[in-house]
Amino acid sequence: MAKVAEKVPKKAVVVEPERVPISGVVWFVRRLTRNRLSLAGTVIILLFILVAILAPVLAPPPEGWRDPYMIPHEGYAPDPLPPSQAHPFGTTEQQFDIYYGVIWGTRTAFKVGIVVVGVSLLIGIVLGALAGYYGGRLDEALMRLVDIFYAFPSLVLAVVVVAILGQGLEKVMIALILVWWPTYSRLLRGEVLSVKERDFVEAARALGESDWRIILRHILPNTIYPVLVVASLDMGAVVLVAAALSFLGLGAPTGYADWGQLASFSRQYIIGVAGDPFQYWYTLFFPGLAIFLFVLGWNLLGDAFRDILDPRLRGTM
Amino acid sequence: MTAYIARRLVLLPIVAFGVTLLIFILLQLLSPAMRAALFVTDPRQLQALHEIIKTYQLDAPFHIQYWNWMKAVLTGNWGWSETARMPVLQAIKAFFPNTFELALFSFIPILLVGIWLGTLSAVHRDRIIDHVSRFFGISGYSLPTFIWGLFLLMLFYGHFRWFPPGRLSLEASLYVNSPEFRRFTGLLTVDALLNGQFWIFVDALRHLVLPVLTLTVHDTALLVRITRSSMLEVLRQDYVRTARSKGLAEPVVINKHARKNALIPVITLSSLLFVGLLGGVVITETVFEYPGIGRWGAAAALHLDIPAVAGFALFFATLTVLGNLVADILYAYVDPRIRLR
Amino acid sequence: MRRIIGGMVTLTLILSLVFLTGVPSSAQAVKNPDTFVLATIGDPETLDYAWAYDTASFEVIFNVYDTLIFYDGSRTDRFVPGLATQVPSVANGLISKDGRTYTFPIRQGVKFHDGTPLTPDDVAYSIRRFLWIDRAGGPSSLLLEPILGVTGTRDEKGNIKVTYSDLTRAVRVQGNNVVITLKEPFGPFLSIMAQWSYVVSRKWAAANGDWDGTRETMRKFNNPKKEDTAFFAKANGTGPFKLVRWDRAAREVVLERNDNYWRTPPKLKRVIIRTVEEAATRILMIKAGDADQIALSRRELPQVQGVEGVRIIDDLPQYLISPALFFTFEIDPTSPHIGSGKLDGNGIPPDFFKDVHVRRAFAYSFDYGAYLRDAYRGKGVVPKGPIPPGMLGYNPKQEYYTYNKEKAIAEFREAWGGRVWTTGFKLTVLYNAGNVPREIGARMLKENIEALNPKFKVDIRALPWPTYLAEMDAHKLPVFFIGWLADYPDPHNFAFHFLHSKGTFPFVQKYANPEMDKLVEQAKSEPDPKKREALYFKLVDMAYKEVPQLYLVSPVVFTVLRSWVKGYYYNPVHPGTYFYPISKG
Repeated sequence: MAKVAEKVPKKAVVVEPERVPISGVVWFVRRLTRNRLSLAGTVIILLFILVAILAPVLAPPPEGWRDPYMIPHEGYAPDPLPPSQAHPFGTTEQQFDIYYGVIWGTRTAFKVGIVVVGVSLLIGIVLGALAGYYGGRLDEALMRLVDIFYAFPSLVLAVVVVAILGQGLEKVMIALILVWWPTYSRLLRGEVLSVKERDFVEAARALGESDWRIILRHILPNTIYPVLVVASLDMGAVVLVAAALSFLGLGAPTGYADWGQLASFSRQYIIGVAGDPFQYWYTLFFPGLAIFLFVLGWNLLGDAFRDILDPRLRGTM
Repeated sequence: MTAYIARRLVLLPIVAFGVTLLIFILLQLLSPAMRAALFVTDPRQLQALHEIIKTYQLDAPFHIQYWNWMKAVLTGNWGWSETARMPVLQAIKAFFPNTFELALFSFIPILLVGIWLGTLSAVHRDRIIDHVSRFFGISGYSLPTFIWGLFLLMLFYGHFRWFPPGRLSLEASLYVNSPEFRRFTGLLTVDALLNGQFWIFVDALRHLVLPVLTLTVHDTALLVRITRSSMLEVLRQDYVRTARSKGLAEPVVINKHARKNALIPVITLSSLLFVGLLGGVVITETVFEYPGIGRWGAAAALHLDIPAVAGFALFFATLTVLGNLVADILYAYVDPRIRLR
Repeated sequence: MRRIIGGMVTLTLILSLVFLTGVPSSAQAVKNPDTFVLATIGDPETLDYAWAYDTASFEVIFNVYDTLIFYDGSRTDRFVPGLATQVPSVANGLISKDGRTYTFPIRQGVKFHDGTPLTPDDVAYSIRRFLWIDRAGGPSSLLLEPILGVTGTRDEKGNIKVTYSDLTRAVRVQGNNVVITLKEPFGPFLSIMAQWSYVVSRKWAAANGDWDGTRETMRKFNNPKKEDTAFFAKANGTGPFKLVRWDRAAREVVLERNDNYWRTPPKLKRVIIRTVEEAATRILMIKAGDADQIALSRRELPQVQGVEGVRIIDDLPQYLISPALFFTFEIDPTSPHIGSGKLDGNGIPPDFFKDVHVRRAFAYSFDYGAYLRDAYRGKGVVPKGPIPPGMLGYNPKQEYYTYNKEKAIAEFREAWGGRVWTTGFKLTVLYNAGNVPREIGARMLKENIEALNPKFKVDIRALPWPTYLAEMDAHKLPVFFIGWLADYPDPHNFAFHFLHSKGTFPFVQKYANPEMDKLVEQAKSEPDPKKREALYFKLVDMAYKEVPQLYLVSPVVFTVLRSWVKGYYYNPVHPGTYFYPISKG
């Protein structure tokens, strides 16, 4: 829903084009931890980062295992097993270890989020800055292109792309990048437009600075913050959409350490066996909780960034 | 203003066809054999693959295929959808009213609950109600739709048997399809009332409960947050403080002065929200076996049903552009600062 | 503030009350006693008896139309009269002594659903249309081959090679009989007729825009598009049920009792076949009694076992081998699944599987027992050959491969003069996405082979069905899984398509063995059943030694019904549920 959120009118953030001093960093961290919710968000994300880094320690792959992202399984028995000593979160059908999947899935989640948001951001910044700064025909063309991408419901576009390219995480990432880049282009372009006419930019131009320098040194640093807010919110949104794609049968292959993939296993067990509808609760609960907390953390963090970076809203969240 | 609208309307067909061009370009990544495989259900038919390619002209060059399709569309022939087993236009006519109905029944609660909770939250800032609503807001925003939907299905159908999946129960479905039932709008709830069949109205409503509950969570959460922040900002404004100091009762202050202005972003969002709902129903419709356009669109994409995907794209592009246009008009109308752009 | 708290407490109380009570599940009274609801997983493709080739379509067709003869109950080797009054045999003279002419006396007094009477002319028309329509990838070749001796009506360039006279000569009306003359004697002919000789009304077809049966108009009815035939979504048959509508938006087919059926009309007043893709929903439907029968996969079966009111009939045989594992003998060099394309440790050469040692090594690397146990819950049999159990030619004593690491290593060591073992290889095993048993098979193969030698790298990949078929056609899949369901209950159908060079699978595999071809053809026309069986035994043994394919499972199937369903019977050849004898209560 970043598309919708971005239509809320915002005035440009005013930050002077200077290096952020050390005291600025301290100030930033203090603002971040002052509010209970933003503290929660920070802690959650830090924990996830820790788990991702420590994955090989927390869930070591078996000896000689070719690809650590493929979840190990003891045998191929079709019924999930409940949590036990050997499998703290239980197993799915075909005996994939849920605990292993959740731990290594953290890395997958970050990978997908960072790649999709990062590349979309890059494309968006380049195109948005150029369109916003130079305006005219370039701007028109870009905006029409953005309109075209926007006119398509994002999930269906993603499904079409993955269906054509084939199943797999890389294809999912490509599809999501195609869906996400317009958001950043439009956002950045809007910000560039409002900063373009400011005094210090006029001054720089009068001083004879080249366009590139103006864009890089003056305009971008002043326009990047709202984009960063959306980017951090999108880290969570991307994982949600990737999970939805796994639910539809696109996405990571079976047995891959991906939360959406794990959660989609539970689909047929939502009913459970006769007499006990909650029998296979763990197949949904653990991956579902992981997705939920990850997205929650980024949402809280994104909100916190917004508080800190947008003085107009300071004190309102 | 009119010039602005006119200009946007002129761009509409360009954008709409741009979307279909995009899809066709993507579909070029498929070999003719893959596109022919849509018509083949069994390996024993493999030897016929080449004949199928010839029959449906699947190996014609890209621009010919696109041109053929465009020509057909402009004359009202949007092609045949394999996944729907009917012509594309007919499929759109069959599925869209259901999705529209679902979106409508979701839209109203989203607006009402979102605005009410958001206002309440802003007014009672930092008190219990604020924390609770913010918690629900942010949780609702973070939960994957399909998980929530499946859980609801299990609880309210599996355990309680109250709200079944699908669009109508057996008896209602048989009656609706019989010649005694006249369709006026395509919306089953409205048509049921217009036909005087109250039990069908109830039945249709009953099947909407769970999909609506699933669909609304995400957007209600969003709306609560937006209303809240917008309201908070307005409440800090001078004119509100002035109204308060004049001695006006608090409810009057909120309802008469603050709310109107706070709702500006909400109003402009609403048409976008509605179109977003229409597009976002894919997962919900799939989980609940709801015969809407989202489920068909996703199935078509999954099966590489090209005419269906292209037709769906065109239809939705038009809808989205119109929705955006309405949003911009509303925005310009409601916020006089922008009107003179 | 207080009001809010008060409201929340009340809400919590109500919710907890609701949560704790729920709806008790008790013995239910029969829901919708005269309507049968079937929740299945796929929509029909078309209701045209001559166009369709999938079970979902035929599940409707075979309840709405009748054939000339039927299978006798659950038997697949005995027939009873249908729209013909007698089953042709040599004994009653309705099969000529040379085995080439079949005479079907047509029943009188039968009416179509629109009230018009059935005539032998309609029968002749129906069969001629089935032959003539010959849509690409359709079932027409099943009758074209025995009757006209051709596999299709068109040659490679698309020119028609079958004439109207051919059709009228081969399928004639003689008084009250319809006489069919075959090109050559063909043992399984009656089986094919029992399954495929649906009868439609010629006048109705003509009135609805389809072929009127004459020479003048026939050209445009050859290889029509699916949606262009009159029979696509409409039906007018003689069967026990009439088509009320096929609602493609709601994905349901509604059938109604034919009160003028030529046998006793069915007990059910209405049948509704609904497509419900979510297994969870289907399970909930049968638990609630909203469905009387549901389609389900073996994997999901435990969720309905032991549920009150639900009856499961298991261990039902089927003439099915699914999956079998296929090797491609000449892989397309541009295939993305063969790595470097050379035997350098990072790929395989396109003719990798031409060496029998490689194939044998793969054969010994597969754990058939564990596969049957884990992917099929033990419900099925390893067929050991391309002929499934229950069919003539199935040899339960046939020697077959078992999971044997030492033998696998020995074979790998001999493969390609030892190079395979020392250099290693890399390839991808493919299966069609969404098919869990095949996915398990692929994974088993991968892990077992990789465990033999660290230089062996086997990847597995799921392909969506269109891609899977397209790449099969292009010979790009080095190793792939696929199954085969009988077109008719005769071993020739399996032997031909698995082992004959013109059959479906050898075509994809680019495999041809002239000796096998000769044996298949010989066995097809051998009249003596004992001799025929011996020939098929020989064929199966050849397939074991040469191992062009691995025959993994012939699964048994099950059906899930509400216990109030009565009269249901199963026949392995039926494409779906036969609603005629069913009642509820």
